[in-house]
Amino acid sequence: MAAGGGRCLLAVALAAAWISGAAAAASSSAEQAGGSHKSIKCMPCSMAYIGDAYLDDTLTGQLAQRRDLAQMSDSGELCKGLTDDVEVPMLSKLHRQLVGEGSHRRLVYSMDFGACEGAMVNFLDGYDAHLVIFEKLPDGVFADPFELQHFVEHKVFVDVAVFGDTNLELPTALSNRSSVEIHFDLRLIISTNCSLVIDMPLHARYPPLDASGYATVEFGNPDLFLRYRKKEIHSDSCLWVIKNLKAAPLDKAAWRIPCGDEAHIGFVPSITFLSALVCSLSIVLAALIF
Amino acid sequence: MASAAAVTLRRVVLVSAALRLALVVFGEWQDAHLEVRYTDVDYLVFSDAAASVAAGGSPFARATYRYSPILAFLLLPNSLLHAAWGKLLFSAADLLVGLFIDTILELRGIPEKMRMWSVIAWLFNPFTFTIGTRGNCEPIVCAVMLWILICLMKGRVLQAAFWYGLIVHFRIYPIIYAIPFVIVLGKGYAGPVGRPTLTMWRSKQQLQNDKVSQKEDPTSFLATVWGFLSNSISRNVILFGLLSGSMFFAWAGVFFYLYGWDFLNEALLYHLTRTDPRHNFSIYFYHIYLHHQQGFSSIQRLASFLPQLVVQLALILRFSRDLPFCMFLQTVAFVAFNKVMTAQYFVWFFCLLPLILPWSSMKLKWKGLACMVVWMGSQLHWLMWAYLLELKGRNVFVQLWVAGLMFLAANTFVMLMVMKHHKYIPLFLSPVKSGNKVATKKEE
Repeated sequence: MAAGGGRCLLAVALAAAWISGAAAAASSSAEQAGGSHKSIKCMPCSMAYIGDAYLDDTLTGQLAQRRDLAQMSDSGELCKGLTDDVEVPMLSKLHRQLVGEGSHRRLVYSMDFGACEGAMVNFLDGYDAHLVIFEKLPDGVFADPFELQHFVEHKVFVDVAVFGDTNLELPTALSNRSSVEIHFDLRLIISTNCSLVIDMPLHARYPPLDASGYATVEFGNPDLFLRYRKKEIHSDSCLWVIKNLKAAPLDKAAWRIPCGDEAHIGFVPSITFLSALVCSLSIVLAALIF
Repeated sequence: MASAAAVTLRRVVLVSAALRLALVVFGEWQDAHLEVRYTDVDYLVFSDAAASVAAGGSPFARATYRYSPILAFLLLPNSLLHAAWGKLLFSAADLLVGLFIDTILELRGIPEKMRMWSVIAWLFNPFTFTIGTRGNCEPIVCAVMLWILICLMKGRVLQAAFWYGLIVHFRIYPIIYAIPFVIVLGKGYAGPVGRPTLTMWRSKQQLQNDKVSQKEDPTSFLATVWGFLSNSISRNVILFGLLSGSMFFAWAGVFFYLYGWDFLNEALLYHLTRTDPRHNFSIYFYHIYLHHQQGFSSIQRLASFLPQLVVQLALILRFSRDLPFCMFLQTVAFVAFNKVMTAQYFVWFFCLLPLILPWSSMKLKWKGLACMVVWMGSQLHWLMWAYLLELKGRNVFVQLWVAGLMFLAANTFVMLMVMKHHKYIPLFLSPVKSGNKVATKKEE
């Protein structure tokens, strides 16, 4: 009698394990499906920049200009039907490095898209497509929006925007963070075998004082998106499909910026004032004598 | 002789104009083809502000535009005609400065050849012909300041006041000349017919023979203070003060009405409170950077202002009657002791230098050259450390700060040399003295 009861319990246990396993598998699939859906969003063409809806208040320490986040919907709503049967080009290679010396450098992105002659050409025949780089700049580094605007005027970029603190003159301690969004027309890469190199000029602020004499600023990973829409569009239904390219983690880019030393407070002010006093008294004396 | 001299001046101006036009054209090419731009970044700021005005907006929509809206209005053709319009305008002002230098020196009887060299000292100074062609607006300020001098020399007090009020609104720093203007416009300014009598230039030989001019010592401090107090209330002073003050507040009122607090904060208050921690020629930059996180005490603020105040007062009280000389020294000192000093400020005193050269006994060989070498050498020394800091990323803050101290010492040295070798001559003869002077001239 006991052996029979044990077999029954085992069967129930196995059944329960199977059911829970199936349930777990099902939820995992659903999460994956939801995750892939989360990598695709849509936004109205009237919204010029992803950053308007993308930024959160942890970036700058203060709320950036924000649009209604509901306008950027996931694939379940606005995007319905727009992403079906669309073979979107995928990023096959991404490198980023900080180039240059001193207080003015460039963040250089090198990228390759796969299946250039086939999928990319077909895709661009039917769609307007932009590569969107969204770089959240670390504290102590800024981009000059007017300098970047010249790239737009020379048609290197389709569009550029800088979010957050755009005051070019403030030191790090008195400024907030900023981020840069660059739109690049993918049609331009057909002639370069789907490879592209993008330069983002950046400048260093005066860092807080440090005894070591240098401050090191590290860049986080950028966000890369593909933004596309069908070429034949109706103005009332124009939507950009935004696909997160899920760029792989990059090598760290670090910027070493010279800074002042607090220990110098002991002698710099006094010698400065003394020098000014000596020179001014010399001039006063000369005015009396000559 | 006169027509030959006029042709020579005309040729000098024509060649200068051609040089500036060529530089403007070259600058446009360099901006389009080379990585390093010829155009000053400030010019892009002016142009963007003008474009904003052309579109019906405010010039202060452009970040870092900290000038009078008048400048944006002047540059409207940048958007409507060509982007180089502003550079041509500034270069034209630059040429006008040369013509005004000639006018001022001619009014004081400087011989043609000496005038020519003074004009050349401005028009062919590499610093001055690049500043306008790169798009810097300072030549306009220089031209207006010299025009004010001309007006004062010709007895056109109201006109001088008009332009003075306008230029203080435009650039603020000319406020340092207010007291010297009041002093020279005092009771001794104009004769019975209302026109001032200018002291004429004398050659070295004439100076040795002229006992009257040998007695023209710089005024003692006490005498100047007493003279200021007793002579400052005159019709000309009141008119000048009222009109220039009204002009300043009228322009401020108009633009405050148009652009509100943006105008006041960016175009006026910013310049009065500016403390920039970024490296510049000023000896105070590193002190400001070291304190930028904690701020300054009142004593520190006062300490940084005191040397400037003391020097300005000393120069005014001692040399104000020799107006061009006083203005030159005041400007050099103002720039040298300021909390922020950039290269564009140098043109403020470069335009006044030709006006005092004829009264200097300093020869180019070798004291003049020594001054030039010391001044430019200390500047180059500072630039070397600034290059290492900004473009090579090396921590050379202390070395750069020391270079700034050395540059202040160089400026002081040049001022002392100029003072030592200058023949102090008041610009205007008082009506009593002019009578004696006329008598002396007749006797001769």
